[in-house]
Amino acid sequence: MGEGTHRWFMTNIRDGYLVVEGCPACGARSSFFSTEHIPPVDEYQDGEHIWIYMGSFQAVKFDLECSDCGRTVDLGDMNGLMLSTCEDSGCEVGKLVRQQGAGSWVYVALCADSSHAERECVSREGITALNEYFNQDIEASDRKVVVVPCRLCDSIDRCRGIVIADIGLTDLYSETAQERRSRARG
Amino acid sequence: MKVSELAEKTGLKAINEFRDREVEGVYISDMVSDILTAARPNSILITLQTHKSLIAAANLVNVAMVVIVKNRKPADDVVELATKAGIGLFTSGLDTWGFARGLTELGF
Repeated sequence: MGEGTHRWFMTNIRDGYLVVEGCPACGARSSFFSTEHIPPVDEYQDGEHIWIYMGSFQAVKFDLECSDCGRTVDLGDMNGLMLSTCEDSGCEVGKLVRQQGAGSWVYVALCADSSHAERECVSREGITALNEYFNQDIEASDRKVVVVPCRLCDSIDRCRGIVIADIGLTDLYSETAQERRSRARG
Repeated sequence: MKVSELAEKTGLKAINEFRDREVEGVYISDMVSDILTAARPNSILITLQTHKSLIAAANLVNVAMVVIVKNRKPADDVVELATKAGIGLFTSGLDTWGFARGLTELGF
């Protein structure tokens, strides 16, 4: 089946935590997806890096499957998606953002190794499927979603964007619990 | 039903300029990871969440409008992003259940 003829849906959806680590010696950043109930915060040495826990967010992973041909694209190499707001003309993603018209949005597919020193980025096959998936139901002629791999970023650590991750949920629900208590007190 | 008509019938006030379009369903969640995988295009998203990440997810899924319940107010940069995306942002004094019940009375 040729490109653009698939009808994708999300499959193998896994909830978990996106855990971000950093190496204080070289400044490298890394992330991994954990399905444990509590995200691991262990510090450990791996080759020349000492990885230290920097934070975690509730997140989700998924694969894409075509309902017409049954083909599945494994997106295990993608740890998240980020809406790019990069305007850096020296960055390929920034250039792409500046080229887009109103209604066209660039999302960066984030892989585990932001330095791309040791691991591959999100696969070409995965990026193609993501682009097809997020555009397949768009009816407005002026709307478009462009998904690119994070290896196109000049520096993912400095790149400007909004990562799709659950931030502030604890604060959100502690606020509502406080509201309930206030109401109960009258 | 269009976004503007639904807003009028449920007493919502828009807090930004938005693209008026047909609403085709409802999704309720406070988790952006859940919205990304389960919300459908052209739906109403009912949530407590006001973070920018909410708009990044809602835009990717192509939701028609976001109703933030319990009178929670998003920050200016969140409103600005939603406006750029053409997503209608509304606030309601009701809680999630109260607002959703009103939608069922409208046939959703």
